[in-house]
Amino acid sequence: METIIKIKNLTYDYNQRKHALRGINLNIYKGQKLAVIGSNGAGKSTFFLNINGVLKSDCGEIYYRDELITRRKLNQLRKNVGIVFQDADQQIIASTVMQEVSFGPMNLKLPREEVIQRVEQALAYMNISEYKDRPPHYLSGGEKKRVSIADIIAMKSEVIIFDEPTAGLDPYNTDMLEEVLVKLGHEGKTLLISTHDMNFVYRWADRAIVFCNGQIIADGTPLEVFRNEEVLKRASLKRPTLLDVYDMLIEKKKLCQSDVYPKTTEELYALL
Amino acid sequence: MKYLKYNKKLIAFMAFVVTMAITPVAGAMHIMEGYLPLSHSVAWFVVCIPFLVMGYRSIKGKVDENRRNISMIAIAGAFVFVLSSLKIPSVTGSCSHMTGTGLGAILFGPAAMSILGIIVLIFQAILLAHGGLTTLGANTFSMGIAGPFVAYAVYKALSKSNKKVAVFLAAFIGDLFTYIVTSLQLAIAHPASSGGFATSAVKFLGIFAPTQVPLAIIEGILTVLIFVALETYAEAEMKSLGFASGGMK
Amino acid sequence: MKNNKIDRHKDDINKEACVHEPAQHRAEHSHRLFTHHHSHGEGSSIDYQAYHSKIRGWNPTFKFLFTCIALILCIGLDNPYVSVTTIVAMGFVSIVLGGVSFHDYLSTMMLPITFILLGTLMIGIDFSLTPKGEYNFHFGFFYIITSKSRLLHMGAIILKVFGAISTMITLTLSTPATEIVGVLRKLKVPKLIIELMNMIYRYIFVMMDTYRQMKESAESRLGFVDYKTSLHTFAGIASNIFVVTLKRSGDYYNALESRCYEGELLFLEEEKPIKAVQAGFAVLYVVVVLALWWAT
Repeated sequence: METIIKIKNLTYDYNQRKHALRGINLNIYKGQKLAVIGSNGAGKSTFFLNINGVLKSDCGEIYYRDELITRRKLNQLRKNVGIVFQDADQQIIASTVMQEVSFGPMNLKLPREEVIQRVEQALAYMNISEYKDRPPHYLSGGEKKRVSIADIIAMKSEVIIFDEPTAGLDPYNTDMLEEVLVKLGHEGKTLLISTHDMNFVYRWADRAIVFCNGQIIADGTPLEVFRNEEVLKRASLKRPTLLDVYDMLIEKKKLCQSDVYPKTTEELYALL
Repeated sequence: MKYLKYNKKLIAFMAFVVTMAITPVAGAMHIMEGYLPLSHSVAWFVVCIPFLVMGYRSIKGKVDENRRNISMIAIAGAFVFVLSSLKIPSVTGSCSHMTGTGLGAILFGPAAMSILGIIVLIFQAILLAHGGLTTLGANTFSMGIAGPFVAYAVYKALSKSNKKVAVFLAAFIGDLFTYIVTSLQLAIAHPASSGGFATSAVKFLGIFAPTQVPLAIIEGILTVLIFVALETYAEAEMKSLGFASGGMK
Repeated sequence: MKNNKIDRHKDDINKEACVHEPAQHRAEHSHRLFTHHHSHGEGSSIDYQAYHSKIRGWNPTFKFLFTCIALILCIGLDNPYVSVTTIVAMGFVSIVLGGVSFHDYLSTMMLPITFILLGTLMIGIDFSLTPKGEYNFHFGFFYIITSKSRLLHMGAIILKVFGAISTMITLTLSTPATEIVGVLRKLKVPKLIIELMNMIYRYIFVMMDTYRQMKESAESRLGFVDYKTSLHTFAGIASNIFVVTLKRSGDYYNALESRCYEGELLFLEEEKPIKAVQAGFAVLYVVVVLALWWAT
């Protein structure tokens, strides 16, 4: 597998504050669907800002496609790694949807025609072309979220980070978001998502890493992580309901043990 | 010479005027578009220029020091606007607003307030139809410069003895001073036919006093309450704004 | 069977969500953003009107410069006929061309009515202990005196002020604030000021949202039960929205930097060419106004 981001011994300290990072080592591979889990304040957001190049630590190394990121090359990361922030209001800066989505491409100093084309594509991708001329402050929460995703899609970054994307969304928009994630996955984007929704992690991710007090305490497939009682306890995580149900069915001999773990209710139904 | 004794209609009219007068209204002290002759519009703007240059340098210095400060300064500006557009509690159900200039001067310093003031005034004209383009200079002088500078001076002079009293008087006197300056600006533009500028000034001061004096008192009280809350809960942030040294320098 | 159930459930969710989907009612709801706190009525929704104006597509620089010229003419010529023409022409542009409802337009015009009444009244009348004016109104121990020429002068000022206000709101009811800021950028206002203006405009709405939430929550806890409590609650909320937003100022900056912000807010600006008809209207207006002034 092709490594897209390599992190070596990354340590980051805020002045006398928590959310710091301590000795992070991680390889992120191209096209991976990576879930980043851990309680609030475990260091997830700090980690994201570091691999996006907004924060720069003096301790540790980050490589993007084998290129060491120095202070001068931070824009290399910002161009190629996009973050969809948890709170769309934190991210949105412009006063019309079109201008907002154009902000990233404009900063990439692309020619005008290309900016227009990318904005239109991104709006169509998120199904918000009709909101083009509207100001974000008259949009609903779900609509703002879509705008904030279109922001990053227009930048065509190879890696996209979603910081707790489902927080505060209604079921309809949560479904929409999952569809977008699947679609982006098919397009070969590398996706990192932080979430507290373990059911989602279990069904979507192909790799999960667990943060606890600024360190990565587990790294593996979601199944491996969720079967590790010690990790679950240390990071105060709940197992996905489906996994619990499956284990119960095995225990009560309603199902026989197999290597296939169902990831959706449909898959479980098929097994039954 | 005609001599009219007061009649019912007249009483009704005067009652209307008096009611309007004691109903403090948002931006009552913003000079409206069209009130000043063009020469005055230009003149007041020119008067503002040195202060604006000073404010620009103060803000520029703060941003050059650390680029990240710009979002903080913008939030300060947005706060002054929001403060001035919120309806403050009132006994009579009337609609009144703070000016926010006293608090702004204490928190951000009078120099920075001139720039924040002119930006806030532009947005008040655009979004709320308070004030206007041609009166921008005059309004900036009264609300963004004269008021804040006086408020700051009062605060500096008294803050060593009793902080709360200093904050109250700063906001109260700052507000009154703004209202006096505005009245004078109007009087210069519209001198009375008999008695000229002085008579006119007295008239403008008189007619706006019933709205502006109570408002200045409320502004003083609210400024103290807000100031205490900020000092208690956000000391670190206030310090980073340059509050500890008494405004952005 | 189970599968079906799940699918049906999903459909339900979709259906339900579809009902909520159009942004329209949301927008209707929040367009009262300022009206909530502002009992002056519709005028405070100027921002909302601007985005929905039918003449939003006109070139903003053209609109801005035309407004400036019209203002200078209206105030500089100081002529009642010019003022009336201005009021009529601007009303036409806003209501007929721009699509603002007559009621909304009028209430925006009336926003500064108190200031106009009080301010102009003082220009029109004098106080005296003796009835020495052309018209005298007796009030206990003093007289309010005025004259026909003073009243006419007062009327002319009122017309001029309304002419100027109608010109100004014709611009603001059809041009969103950021487009006006864009014009200022073209007019070479310093970059730092433009940056601040763009950010301030955005943060105003973020703060207003926070304010609304805090106010509702305070109201639900009887925070406005009497006047003294109200003052304390108001001050508490006001300081809170500032602190909350200020604490996040670093986050806002991070979000900008994450999209390669390097000290200048760059947005795609739509090219809105000036049409011959619009230019023609502007020229015609100026000619008519000047002719009126010359003739009277």
